[in-house]
Amino acid sequence: MHKRGIREWVLPGALLASVLVKLGVGMGSYSGMGTPPMYGDYEAQRHWMELTVHLPIREWYSYDLPYWGLDYPPLTAYVSWLCGIIGTWIEPSWFALGKSRGIETPGSKVFMRSTVVLLDALVYVPALLMFLRIWQGSRSQRTQNNALLTLLFQPALLLIDFGHFQYNSVMLGLTLAAMNCFAMGRDLWGAVFFVLSLGFKQMALYYAPAIGTYLLVKCLYLGRPEGERLFLRLTAVTVSTFILLFLPFLPPFAHLSTLKQSLIRIFPFSRGLFEDKVANFWCATNVLIKWKNWASPDFLVKISTLLTAVGFLPSVVNMFYLGRKMQLAKSAAADTANNNSTAQPPFLALLPYALLASSMSFFLFSFQVHEKTILLPLMPMMLLLSGAQIDSPAYMWGALLNNTAVFSMWPLLKRDGLGLQYVATLVLWNRLIGYNPFRWPPKTLVHILSQGVFVAAFGLHLLEFVVTPPKRYPDLFPVLNVLVCTPVFLLGWLWAIKCGVEVGWALGGVGPVSAKAASANTEDTGSAPMGEKGRKEGERENGMSSGRRWNRAGSVEYSQTRRRGMAEGMEEEE
Amino acid sequence: MQSPSRSHPAPVEHLKDVEQEKSLRPSSWLQWDVESCEWDILLFSTAVKLLLYHCYRSTDFEVHRNWLAITHSLPLSKWYYDTTSEWTLDYPPFFAYFEKLLSFPAAFIDPKIVEISNLNYDSWSVILYQRTTVILSELVLASVLLRFIRGSVDSSTQRIISASIFLHPGFLIIDHIHFQYNGFMFGILLWSILMARKGNKLASGILFSILLNFKHIYMYLAPAYFIYLLRSYCLAPSGRLQVKNFLALANAVIAVFVVSLGPFIAIGQLPQLLSRLFPFTRGLNHAYWAPNVWALVTATDRLLLQYVKRKGIDIAINASGVASTSRGLVGDTVFAVLPNIRPVHTFMATIFFQSICLVKLWITPTYKSFLTALTLCGYSSFLFGWHVHEKAILLVLVPLSLLAAERQAYFRTFIIVSVSGVFSLFPLLFTPGESIIKVVYSALWIMFVYVSLRKRVYEFPRTPALVVLDLVEKLYLAGFPLLLILINLFPALATSYRGSVTGAMEFLPLMATSVYCAIGVVWGFIRLLFVYLNEDRIYQGQLSEIQ
Repeated sequence: MHKRGIREWVLPGALLASVLVKLGVGMGSYSGMGTPPMYGDYEAQRHWMELTVHLPIREWYSYDLPYWGLDYPPLTAYVSWLCGIIGTWIEPSWFALGKSRGIETPGSKVFMRSTVVLLDALVYVPALLMFLRIWQGSRSQRTQNNALLTLLFQPALLLIDFGHFQYNSVMLGLTLAAMNCFAMGRDLWGAVFFVLSLGFKQMALYYAPAIGTYLLVKCLYLGRPEGERLFLRLTAVTVSTFILLFLPFLPPFAHLSTLKQSLIRIFPFSRGLFEDKVANFWCATNVLIKWKNWASPDFLVKISTLLTAVGFLPSVVNMFYLGRKMQLAKSAAADTANNNSTAQPPFLALLPYALLASSMSFFLFSFQVHEKTILLPLMPMMLLLSGAQIDSPAYMWGALLNNTAVFSMWPLLKRDGLGLQYVATLVLWNRLIGYNPFRWPPKTLVHILSQGVFVAAFGLHLLEFVVTPPKRYPDLFPVLNVLVCTPVFLLGWLWAIKCGVEVGWALGGVGPVSAKAASANTEDTGSAPMGEKGRKEGERENGMSSGRRWNRAGSVEYSQTRRRGMAEGMEEEE
Repeated sequence: MQSPSRSHPAPVEHLKDVEQEKSLRPSSWLQWDVESCEWDILLFSTAVKLLLYHCYRSTDFEVHRNWLAITHSLPLSKWYYDTTSEWTLDYPPFFAYFEKLLSFPAAFIDPKIVEISNLNYDSWSVILYQRTTVILSELVLASVLLRFIRGSVDSSTQRIISASIFLHPGFLIIDHIHFQYNGFMFGILLWSILMARKGNKLASGILFSILLNFKHIYMYLAPAYFIYLLRSYCLAPSGRLQVKNFLALANAVIAVFVVSLGPFIAIGQLPQLLSRLFPFTRGLNHAYWAPNVWALVTATDRLLLQYVKRKGIDIAINASGVASTSRGLVGDTVFAVLPNIRPVHTFMATIFFQSICLVKLWITPTYKSFLTALTLCGYSSFLFGWHVHEKAILLVLVPLSLLAAERQAYFRTFIIVSVSGVFSLFPLLFTPGESIIKVVYSALWIMFVYVSLRKRVYEFPRTPALVVLDLVEKLYLAGFPLLLILINLFPALATSYRGSVTGAMEFLPLMATSVYCAIGVVWGFIRLLFVYLNEDRIYQGQLSEIQ
């Protein structure tokens, strides 16, 4: 079947099938359907389209704030404006100012749903395809197709964007595009994309420590003249992109208070420590320590910021350390080989782990986290999973984290009436990646952990189905859910840090850099594509064994052959 | 689309292993042998169907809910008399028994479902329950299709065909969105066909008579069964009557009918039952014209009428025909210019075309010939029948799928008829969300079928005439996307042109769909009939080795 001219049809088939599933999920209900007067996230997004179309820009962030006032950064507002213009052109009543509140006609629903699918197809899907070409370009078409399916059918994103109704895929897609640009050595473009991502949803800030560190370390790595130049350019590009984004809110066009108002709306520190039940550190420990009674909000903001910083620090330090080591190695070997500074720096392989660790630490420890925010740590985790071999640690962790994340959103999904979609997308995705946690006997620690977590999850579902919670504890099941999920997320965060350190060792060696390792290094980085091809061929022959060896250092499958070869040299050194 | 899951080894090797295993094991219906890629297909389709629970449902949903209520809360003697709801029971007794069976769990889940006066009940419980019964009853279809793979000559081709039937957009549109139980009943039909393939003709006949007692529309296919069983089972090749076989079959069929109709005969309700099953008060065309010959004839009449009006030609025009433009009414279609069609005409036309292929079947009563004749029988009824529903196209599409990979000629016919047939089902779903889904799903399906089968059967067109034909057919197929765009833009275009969409204009997109699809469906019939009648005895094809 695979031989008869089908291969080239797998890609369009997979894309079309994913569109079908997205539309199918979209047939269900959404956040706040049929619940006046406030409705939910769907109405919020629709309302923004309504207000951006009808009001001048300076009133966007101040119009009728209690009813879903705009509180996302400007790019969301611009996109809403564009969608609103198109929607008004099709049917003006969908976005009539004031009169369209809570409108739920079949036509307007389909329009809103199709904007999500279209924006996803325009931003996220191309970013995924680029990711596969750039980060996994050396792998077979079949492997890449599998990875694509894994990424396209990610249940958490499907449920939140196309079921619950949000535009997270745009923000994730822009960040992913930034990663792709970094991998291609186009750091300035990467910075632009990341700023756009931030400008679409402030949540992208969760990635900022990792991405900022990467760029900084790259500047240091490049050394004096070049690194400095890059640093200045990056600053200029970042600042000017921000200015461009906020241009309509700046003095010549608007009063300075407009900008201030928009910033107040985007960063609301006046809300509580956490909302609803979310599987993070604060909510989970709240069972024992009632944080809100115990400390003032001000103090809590400070301590949560501190904890978050402590959370992402290890991976940041690790990247700095590796970058420093690499730079030393490079300068030591500078006279023996040509410098090809435009190529990917070796610590690029750390980026996904750093992104995971940093966004997970934000999710676990920061202030005002929603359960949906778990999508941010999931993105780098999915990228790692898509490149991992079946049963490798990255695969097991990826599957565990993803399934747990979907489970952690169960109370939300249940409220939205997305129970069937929850089952369908979970079954479909686990089947697609060939995941079966209940294979006996479990081989690794993470496997045992997964089994425990899934048994607990199934048990909770069953219990919820059979038992009604006692009146004294109406939130019994959401709290139990949090208690199951939080430890898994904590472990996932630790795993990301551990893997980052391991990959760091593999790339840079544990001890101080010797001249020999350094020269081995540069030989590899400087080798011509032809030589690389030869090595690739050799690797394919004993692919299994080298693959095995690799799993020790987490799944660096990712890093391309070039880095692989280099690190192998380092291992010998050890 | 075999979703490439990582867990299974290379498909080819895997296949060989399984085939070897298969030859060692005796075949039985109970054995649990489903391969990984078959699980993939089942899970994928089930996931998609689960997502469609929230979709639009037609009045057929309430029809079936009402039947659950009737069979559960009324005694058998009142089933065919009850008129609490306008959706009275008008399927044969086996289906009523089936509903009775389904009503027990329904009453357990939510007693309100089976309350007879609880009309238009549409709580989540009843939607969940009824939709789930469709998916579960469709497992009959799934298991039969699996059996088709196991004993076939070319199992990889048959696997694609089986998958294409199981994933057929017709089932998705009619069963899982619009709401009916066709998947289940086509499962029985295919089971019967499978028995014919295995040479177990008695079982085939019994299963078909059971099917008839589930839904009488399958009578469209009955002539082919009758001739096939008579010729190849009841008569020896020499033409002598095989008394034992004949009696066995006759008794079995009678027994099936006794089980089904017996209770109603015993209480003297047969006339009432039959009057429910065969209401002869409907018009030539259904509200939306099924894409058959009469759609073409009616359209011609409309065009002629316009022509006559414009030119002012003096011809006797039937005044009532001018008024009757079949505007979504289940009434009589009266022609303005052409002579009117009566039920007897449609009947004669159907019989005529059926008997052509039945003669051929009588001469060559092989399995493959039977399959083609069966398709053609259903096809003739669809094309020429009185008051045909567009949904009946499945009677053609499903058996034709089994022939799809025979040769290029069959394959091309299959593609043309499938595309036009599925497209003709699109107007069943008119709500915006479902309209996108039906198009995306059908596109995905046709892509999967076309891509995976085309190279297996490809033949180069040999004469210039065939090259031209090939081109024309491709142009016709390429017209479908255009048609889709046109009928979707039509309201906007008409509004900007005339200010508003009124009267006959409103039905123009439906008419255009119906006529354009009818061209393909009728052409497919001509093709298939020609291929069948001029069939060489020796050629390649996956069914050629099966007698």
